[in-house]
Amino acid sequence: MNAHVNLPASGPVLKVDGLKKHFGGIKAVDGVSFEVFEGEILGIIGPNGCGKSTLFNCILGQLQPTEGAVTLDGEAITGLFPAELNRRGVSRTFQLLQVFPNLTVRENLILAGQEHQGSMLSRLLGPKDAGLTAEAEKMIGFFNLGHLADSKAGGLSYGQQKLLDAAMAFMAGPRLVLLDEPAGGVNLTMLASLKERLEAINKEQGATFVVIEHNMDFVMSLCSRVVVMAEGKVLAIGTPAEIRANPAVIEAYLGH
Amino acid sequence: MDQFVQLILAGLATGAIYALAAIGFTLVWQTSQTINFAQGEFVMLPAILVLAAVKFLHAPLPVAVLMAVGGFLLLFGFGFKQYIVNPMARHGILPLAIATMALSILMKESAKDGFSAEAQQFPSLVPEGAIQLFGATLSLRDIAIFVVAVVAIVGLQLFVTRTKTGRMMQATAQNPTVARILGISTEKMILLTFLINAGLAILASFLISPVYLAKFSNGEVIGTAAFIAAIVGGFNQVRGALAGGFIVGLVDNLAAAYVSSAYRAAVPLVLLVLVILFKPEGLLGSKEERTV
Ligand SMILES: Nc1ncnc2c1ncn2[C@@H]1O[C@H](COP(=O)(O)OP(=O)(O)OP(=O)(O)O)[C@@H](O)[C@H]1O
Ligand SMILES: [Mg+2]
Repeated sequence: MNAHVNLPASGPVLKVDGLKKHFGGIKAVDGVSFEVFEGEILGIIGPNGCGKSTLFNCILGQLQPTEGAVTLDGEAITGLFPAELNRRGVSRTFQLLQVFPNLTVRENLILAGQEHQGSMLSRLLGPKDAGLTAEAEKMIGFFNLGHLADSKAGGLSYGQQKLLDAAMAFMAGPRLVLLDEPAGGVNLTMLASLKERLEAINKEQGATFVVIEHNMDFVMSLCSRVVVMAEGKVLAIGTPAEIRANPAVIEAYLGH
Repeated sequence: MDQFVQLILAGLATGAIYALAAIGFTLVWQTSQTINFAQGEFVMLPAILVLAAVKFLHAPLPVAVLMAVGGFLLLFGFGFKQYIVNPMARHGILPLAIATMALSILMKESAKDGFSAEAQQFPSLVPEGAIQLFGATLSLRDIAIFVVAVVAIVGLQLFVTRTKTGRMMQATAQNPTVARILGISTEKMILLTFLINAGLAILASFLISPVYLAKFSNGEVIGTAAFIAAIVGGFNQVRGALAGGFIVGLVDNLAAAYVSSAYRAAVPLVLLVLVILFKPEGLLGSKEERTV
């Protein structure tokens, strides 16, 4: 089903408009526009180096776009710092592992869910877990990390760290989560459970997802709509069925 | 046998001082990739500042101590980061390390020319004296040094692992990019480690100067020992620096008694060479990881 079709009145949660990011002569992102609606899971696919991760970095303010605008609930967020977007309920996972290797799984999760503002004194005197232990336990159970809760994150396998990374992105109860290749390096059994987890969080918390992924089965079964990118541009946007049937997409993947 | 016990205690006391300096050294390396070659001078100076405040400003001792602590934290906690590390870090680890070498020379020469070239008495809180235990004569000062340093280190460790700010400091050292995305103000956390380093140096200075007297050249031995302790312990681990400090302190004292006091200074270097040859990541260290 297409979630966005049912929610046309509310307007898009995220709107990317004519976004460009050039690195010198490299046009990594070259005029990308799309909308993401409340509660939907939008997929982004495309060949290696077509600008998917760069697009995420621009949306989340880790990179300043060369041109274009990003709006969240109709409000301009272009160029805001990641921490500010984090506060507004936008979080992300990383293509390359980004956990805190010498903290335990539980400590990683608590850190990801914390509000880091406030005075030094309030932080010193306040509870170290900021009341987040229960939330962390929930995520630990949800992502099947129970036996690893007190292990150092750096000692986990690649796939387990990927799951932790995803769990961390959900700790702050975000409205919009950008996931960069969450299934990369995750084995088939775990993959099925990851998909199931994402669908459950999407339903229960009404969170909206944008997912970059190379695994076609994963994307096509998880997402309501898919954006296909090639060489920094949007090649096609549509439902999984439409994308599968699109000759330009088949060309981009099978040609070149 | 009782001589051995005495040597062990003396070794633990010097080792505790080296550990304080090595831990500060490690913390600053972890959060800002600064190799502080002036670390020994950081330990030398606070005691000199106290004496200078008494001599030139005729301040009573407690006031002089407060002035020295405040001034040192400001200059060598905040100022060091702001005016030496921040501008030099842009040019890379090596130029920054060389800048700290220059700073060490500047601090040493300033202490010599500005204050005194002679070793000076430094007041001790603990009276001179000894207690008898298991037939050994144990110096009260050694015991006090050991206890104070260990309390400080345990306190620091609890702060780093058990408080929210401590975790944020760890996060900054382990993954600054993600820490920043999560909204952690990494700059503040780095500044905090510099202030902690300055604080540890002050403590080490006040502990060691009553025993070895306050002298401009004190930093040479302490700096080398702290550096060796940090490397022996694994360079990027606080508990490594702690273990390294005690090992170097013990080896130092035992070698002076049983090998030759002439070769005393060489023995820790031999230890360093052995560690580099056989366990280059340090005794407790692990490769390519940064930890607080
Ligand atoms: N910081 C940067 N500086 C210069 N060029 C960059 C930078 N980041 C990305 N690029 C270039 O931009 C292009 C897009 O990279 P990006 O990482 O966005 O691709 P991607 O679609 O995520 O690829 P993959 O599927 O392999 O992850 C590539 O040519 C890359 O080399
Ligand atoms: Mg990518």
